Amino acid sequence: MNATPYLTPQQIIDRFSARFGNGLTEAKVTERGEGTRKVKAYNLWFRIDREQLRPAIEELIAIRFPHLAVIAGNDLGTDIELLYIFSVFYGQKFGEYMVTIAIRLPKSDLTVPTITDLIPGALFSEREKQEFFGITVTGIPDGRRLFLPEDFPKGVYPWRKDETGIPPEMIKNLWEVDRPKDRPVPPIPEKAPAPEGKKEGGESP
Amino acid sequence: MSAEKAKKTVPYTVPIGPVHPALKEPVMFTFGMEGEIVRTVDFAPGQTHRGIEWMGMRRNPVQIVHLTDRICGICGIVHSLSFARAVEQIAEIEVPERADYIRTILHELERIQSHLLWAGVAAHELGFDSLFYLAWRVREQSMDLIENLTGNRVNYGIVQIGGVRRDISDEQRALVEKGLDYYQGLLDQMATLFLKDSTILMRCRGHGILSGDDARLLCTVGPTARASGLNMDVRQDYPYCAYGDLDVKAILPPPETGGPQGDVYDRIIVRLLEVGQSIGIIRQCLGQLPAGEILWEPKMAKLLSVLKKAEGEGIGRVEAPRGECMHYVKMAGKEAPDSWKVKASSYSNLMSWIPMLQGEQLADIPIIVASIDPCLSCTDRVAVTRNGQSDILTKEDLTRLSREKTRRMMQ
Amino acid sequence: MKIPTSFNRSLWVFHLNTGSCNGCEIEIVATITPRYDPERFGIRLVGSPKHADVLLVTGPVTKKMAPRVRRVFEQVPDPKVVMCIGTCGQSGGVFYDSYNLDGPIDQVIPVDVYVPGCPPRPEAIVFGVVKALQKLERLEAEQ
Repeated sequence: MNATPYLTPQQIIDRFSARFGNGLTEAKVTERGEGTRKVKAYNLWFRIDREQLRPAIEELIAIRFPHLAVIAGNDLGTDIELLYIFSVFYGQKFGEYMVTIAIRLPKSDLTVPTITDLIPGALFSEREKQEFFGITVTGIPDGRRLFLPEDFPKGVYPWRKDETGIPPEMIKNLWEVDRPKDRPVPPIPEKAPAPEGKKEGGESP
Repeated sequence: MSAEKAKKTVPYTVPIGPVHPALKEPVMFTFGMEGEIVRTVDFAPGQTHRGIEWMGMRRNPVQIVHLTDRICGICGIVHSLSFARAVEQIAEIEVPERADYIRTILHELERIQSHLLWAGVAAHELGFDSLFYLAWRVREQSMDLIENLTGNRVNYGIVQIGGVRRDISDEQRALVEKGLDYYQGLLDQMATLFLKDSTILMRCRGHGILSGDDARLLCTVGPTARASGLNMDVRQDYPYCAYGDLDVKAILPPPETGGPQGDVYDRIIVRLLEVGQSIGIIRQCLGQLPAGEILWEPKMAKLLSVLKKAEGEGIGRVEAPRGECMHYVKMAGKEAPDSWKVKASSYSNLMSWIPMLQGEQLADIPIIVASIDPCLSCTDRVAVTRNGQSDILTKEDLTRLSREKTRRMMQ
Repeated sequence: MKIPTSFNRSLWVFHLNTGSCNGCEIEIVATITPRYDPERFGIRLVGSPKHADVLLVTGPVTKKMAPRVRRVFEQVPDPKVVMCIGTCGQSGGVFYDSYNLDGPIDQVIPVDVYVPGCPPRPEAIVFGVVKALQKLERLEAEQ
């Protein structure tokens, strides 16, 4: 399982560019160091065409079997962008990278092939994207709703920012419930200046 | 997974009453049984969906930090920490070193109290109520320490974008050291109580097995994955906060206890050993605590104006007591983030219930379900079909069955 | 103050989670541990709503849970006291504008005692139970 060699971030980018060429629209590395020694941690970001999704994931599996963290999504107006966030080379001290593979789906054709045959753990994430963005994952073994209740109106996709998002009538302001409307809001009293010395924590009954 | 077999399962929408102490979100299970053995498993989460990510996209990052504190009550600091780190990556905010160390200390204290909580729950499922009360009584000591450092027992509210909000004074350091000594002395006793007890060995060894391959394919994280032999720990692989300066190794079941077999007993071992590891880490951090400030920018207005102009994407990952917790944030120059995705650690671990529960007996279900330390919890009602007849068992019945089995095995 | 006679010196509590973050759950369970030890007063957690005298409800009510909360409320036999623990059940707390929540708990079932806090400390929960007992005493005396 660990027979594949360890690669640097630039080597991974080169491998992807070599394989996908023009299909790879963007590739970059960001890094961050924390603590006193500022040991660096690297994130790789790839943006590829939709058709190259499964070959890209297979390429990543060939590098080393990744761990799928989650599938995130963005609503970009005319497209929906899906980000498959992986992490590779776990087990290597200070050497894990986060690899994000992002694809764009035009809103006119919101289908994407499933990856559960390569990575069965992606099932939950794909079901969640189906119900929250309204995309269709072709070939998914179990396409039921995951988090939203069954009687949630169809056609309403909570994370979209266009007209299929949550309409204002569905939002309930809990703090307003039962608030009396026939009198004005009481004025906020002026804050008294703090007394000299440490203030004792009050005993609340 | 779904009921495609000939046995009809009747998924009920049932009045949920998490009957149990320390039961969290209700999850509806549907088991297809053959006699006493489970054949098919199906479950449906979603009862506590509050629309947090959607609400977050309407608030500014400082308000979201307070919201993330309340995503889960047991994981005190992990969600705020991941979110703050993601935003700091986007806005390129440099966190002072002292703040990194304070974050690490609280992170490890939270790990201690979470594992002790779980130890109590596991003992309760097996029928050891006295061990349950003992573990929670011991946990109170760490709650006192946390309250002393942050001001609250749950929902610490200490993480701010760019640092932490409270400092550690010298008296507090002395208190923390005393508390750690108390735990150090107690750890051997707890290890003996849990690991050498013959009943726990009988009930847990060989049950709820998750093989290493299954763990890899289903993307499990945390102690569940480590008990199956996967060498993954975010503190070791992808350093954050002060872990780059420390030497943290992922804890796998040691060869003395038989190496990683992926059953419930291994998960108990991993968690208890991690408590010992956390004590060592906190000691190291206190010894190396650098001087300096604790916030990148104490003035709120300036911080908000910087965040308003930030653009880009960021990923914040931490090792929660249950596994890897990850937040993805995208900001686009507006006040609220453009996109925010939360991945709690139990999100990845839930799917591992299916291979673990197949072939097990009905009375073993509570302990196996609790062994992955779900932050969504076990349901109270389970629809069970036995020989064509359907039966509704409450959580009380399941726990009673589990305890009766313990008594049978002890005779 | 003494325990009302209808309870025969023990108070059985049933806890219902309507979608909370579990902070209040942890504090409720911490309340029954040996440090605060309400079992010496006869207060214990039970497994079924039909055995309970006091119903502890936490969390903002999600849409999926609202009908179940009503069903559980109807199953608890009279006389009963409903306690709402935590701020999210009272005014939404941090979840003040969501699309999947059905409102504060008192929109779904009638509540007798409110214990605010996020989460309330175990001492506050014990105080809330004492208030509930006083209310029951008053209700019994009126009957």
